[in-house]
Amino acid sequence: MIERGFGVAEGVGSALTWCLCVLLASWLLLLVLEGRARKVSVWITLSGVVTALLVAAAILRPTRVTTRGTDLFPKVVVLLDRSWRLDLKVGEQTREQVALGALHALQKGLKKARLEVLGFGEGAPHPFVEGQAAAVERPTDSDLTAALRALSAAPGERPEALVVVSDGRLTSPGEAATAESLKELGTRLRIPIHTVAVASAALPDASIRKVGTTGAAVAHQKLALELSVGCSGGLSCDELPITVEELLHGEPPALLVQGTAKVRDGFAKLELPFTLDRAGRRLVRVRLDVPEGDKIAENNQRLLTFDVTRERVRLLHVAGRPTYDVRALRMWLKADESIDLIAFFILRTNSDATQVSDDSELALIPFPVDELFTEHLPSFDAVILQDIDAVEYKLERHLPALARYVRAGGGLIMVGGPSAFMGGGYAGSPLGEVLPVTLPDRDSAPPLDMASFEPRVTLAGRAAPALRGVRELLGERLPQMLGSNTLGPLRPGAIALWEHPDRKAGQGPMPMLALGDSGDGRAIALGVDGTHLLQWSELGEQNAGRAYGALWEGLVGWLMRDPRYESARLELTHECRAGAPATLSITRLPGAAVDVKVTLERLGEAAAASPPKPLQLRMEGNVETATLPLGALSEGGYTATVHIGSSPPARFDFACESGGPAFADSRPDPALLERISQQTGGVSVAAADAGSLKAPPPTHVESQRVVAALLPAWLWSMLAASAIGAHWYARRRAGLL
Amino acid sequence: MLSGLAALAASRTAHAFGDVGAFNPRVVVAGGKRLSGPRSTGPAAWSMELINRTSAPARLAPREVALDRPELCNEPFAVWAGDGDVGSLSVAERRGLSKFIRLGGVLVVDDSDPQQGSFGRSVRRELLRVLPESPPVRLDPSHVVYKTFYIVERPVGRVLGPPTIDAIVRGKNAQVLLLSHDLLGALARSDEGSYSIPTEPSGYDQRQQALRFAVNIAMYVLCSDYKDDQVHAPFLMRRRAQAR
Repeated sequence: MIERGFGVAEGVGSALTWCLCVLLASWLLLLVLEGRARKVSVWITLSGVVTALLVAAAILRPTRVTTRGTDLFPKVVVLLDRSWRLDLKVGEQTREQVALGALHALQKGLKKARLEVLGFGEGAPHPFVEGQAAAVERPTDSDLTAALRALSAAPGERPEALVVVSDGRLTSPGEAATAESLKELGTRLRIPIHTVAVASAALPDASIRKVGTTGAAVAHQKLALELSVGCSGGLSCDELPITVEELLHGEPPALLVQGTAKVRDGFAKLELPFTLDRAGRRLVRVRLDVPEGDKIAENNQRLLTFDVTRERVRLLHVAGRPTYDVRALRMWLKADESIDLIAFFILRTNSDATQVSDDSELALIPFPVDELFTEHLPSFDAVILQDIDAVEYKLERHLPALARYVRAGGGLIMVGGPSAFMGGGYAGSPLGEVLPVTLPDRDSAPPLDMASFEPRVTLAGRAAPALRGVRELLGERLPQMLGSNTLGPLRPGAIALWEHPDRKAGQGPMPMLALGDSGDGRAIALGVDGTHLLQWSELGEQNAGRAYGALWEGLVGWLMRDPRYESARLELTHECRAGAPATLSITRLPGAAVDVKVTLERLGEAAAASPPKPLQLRMEGNVETATLPLGALSEGGYTATVHIGSSPPARFDFACESGGPAFADSRPDPALLERISQQTGGVSVAAADAGSLKAPPPTHVESQRVVAALLPAWLWSMLAASAIGAHWYARRRAGLL
Repeated sequence: MLSGLAALAASRTAHAFGDVGAFNPRVVVAGGKRLSGPRSTGPAAWSMELINRTSAPARLAPREVALDRPELCNEPFAVWAGDGDVGSLSVAERRGLSKFIRLGGVLVVDDSDPQQGSFGRSVRRELLRVLPESPPVRLDPSHVVYKTFYIVERPVGRVLGPPTIDAIVRGKNAQVLLLSHDLLGALARSDEGSYSIPTEPSGYDQRQQALRFAVNIAMYVLCSDYKDDQVHAPFLMRRRAQAR
């Protein structure tokens, strides 16, 4: 854009200009007065005026000024709500589609503005490029306050206006925000905030609007689930049943608690207390039974992940007879302050002659087998069965419950001895099914073998973090064991850490120390009764008996899913959303190149007849963290079991939600958007009218200025001198001089 | 009778697998001094009583173990009995004893001649040199050793001896029990199965109390403070009240 004008020569100050103007005006006034008084010729007056102007021009030396410049359109930032929630429907379209339509209208209507489109959700807003915004990147929240805070703190050009495109169901400011707090949003940037509402009417919907808990989730301790239930869009709600279940591996969901939400004025609040017995990541499903006519199914249930901690590991140690092996294990367990130990040892058999006239002379109590394995079993994190005969001590009838306990997430260690495994009547029992090894029928093999041997550490044993402590102290040496239980081949997915150097189980060596997952729980089979020799032997004495503690710390730690004894750290690269691709991040201990196999199974369902096909990748020696795409998953709880080389598998449970917290409250809130605009001096429009928003005026910016003299200075001087001369001559002729 | 009981016991422990953790009252040899005479049958009789009265497995032919031999640390229990001054332990013996105790072993010191007491005094002297930081203390009458299997009121052996026992307690565990009751004397049997040495001052009842105390010590070795667990507390309190 070019503009032209006139000016005076450089160096002519404003004082001079003003003085000259005064002189000229005086001169012209004198000429006029003279003309009236003396009736002088008009030519003399005219020449006087010309002379005055030429003298002025000679002094000011007029110039022609040409300027080139541009009109800079104002910067307008469009903040587009990127929450999942915008996947909710508005008629036939999603709110997201309506928002994109509004964006297109803004882009069309605000042609005389520089639009910067940013997506907001959680934290600072990010540039939004249509078509490149993958669903997985979308946040749950709609935090406008955080977005504005980040914008005001960002360096560079400030926008002159802001347009927020949203449904109004903002995380912050919330619907209860005061006028002052809304006003403050605009004062951060000192600009008006215009808003475009992408939805106005709520759909008929009953939903779990809010889920909270009081306090941390601690195993065996009551946890109160605080639920807010809402009904909107004209849906008729009265009493809505709610079910809370835990999703387990290979098992149907376990009912935790049930309740009823009594909805009044479209809202209900209730508290449901329940107890999670197992520590670690637990998935809990909260289901709301909705009335007919509910249009949004995705927010009728929530999948909650609880990282359940435990104050102390609560262990039940049951031994069939007292031995040095029992003593060593008890003393180690008792010495660990993090373990709450409940122990029952069989000290007397029916055939023992105690030589007392009355049992009151004995310090013995009855073995409360029924009480322990019915009432109290869920309260234990793990059960250690050490050399106890299930038949003789009436444990047999509780083995199904014990197997269910393991599958539901409990831990089990069966420690060897003459009355363990086959010798204790466990072969063919339900408990045998959850052990990591199979147990042969009593008729097909002797229950034990008397030959001494030194257990051989397997490849998996060398790689297992659970045996790292023993390896560091003893290398691969182990004490001589005086015999072994007969154990069968490993169950699928189980790992042998020690094996018998001579005995066979099926085609391979007989496992002596094996571990494996069973349903949601874990189990360890130890086919020897002499681990105390890691402390009480020449080998054990060399390291002050520390190898014994290292072994049991590793085994109990693995059983309790202590991250130190897992072969890998697993996590999702981002929150899993149903229908969107999920990616698993695997971090392993440094080591050689290994093949990694990942199997993915749904929680809360009976185990599939055939194991799922594993996903595979290879981690080279210098790679500690790798990611593995799991594909798009449907709604539900999942468990990823990761086998890293020959190490024991690591497991990671996670939830994929369709709606999640983003869909919890489906009602749009255009009133909030209107209030924001009102308080910040902006305009609030519906999405259909987005094109009507006006841009602020542009700013003109000069880029070039050319100054050229109209005539050379000497010519102005000559003309002025000539005019003075001519005027003098005319006045002389008229007799005025 | 002894051989008969041994045969019975042997049949019950026919599975050698399982013996590795069996109670084994090994007899300490220190300064070349061995347990001799009728009391040398005491350890086997101790095992036999344990097998007959309880579910615990035990070795019926306990061996001797020298304080200066690495085998001392192959099992967590040994009994050191004698009737005279043990003399000064060698450096190797002191080192062996120290390792055994620091590893968590339990040692029963049984004075066969408590009236004279020179054995007990000399062992205390040597223990003080080995474990100077852990002098003997008197065990409380509520200590678990009095209720590990039988409810007993006081320590008893061949002689009635003092009503309490001293012990070297490390951490929460009494690791060295210092008896002045000639426990092995009460346990000792002849080949025919009869008791070798009469008890003093009384007869049958005292011996029965001594046997019960011996069983309790074995159970203490095998189960440590199991009977101190909270789960047993109400039962034991009730029974103690009944007994009184």
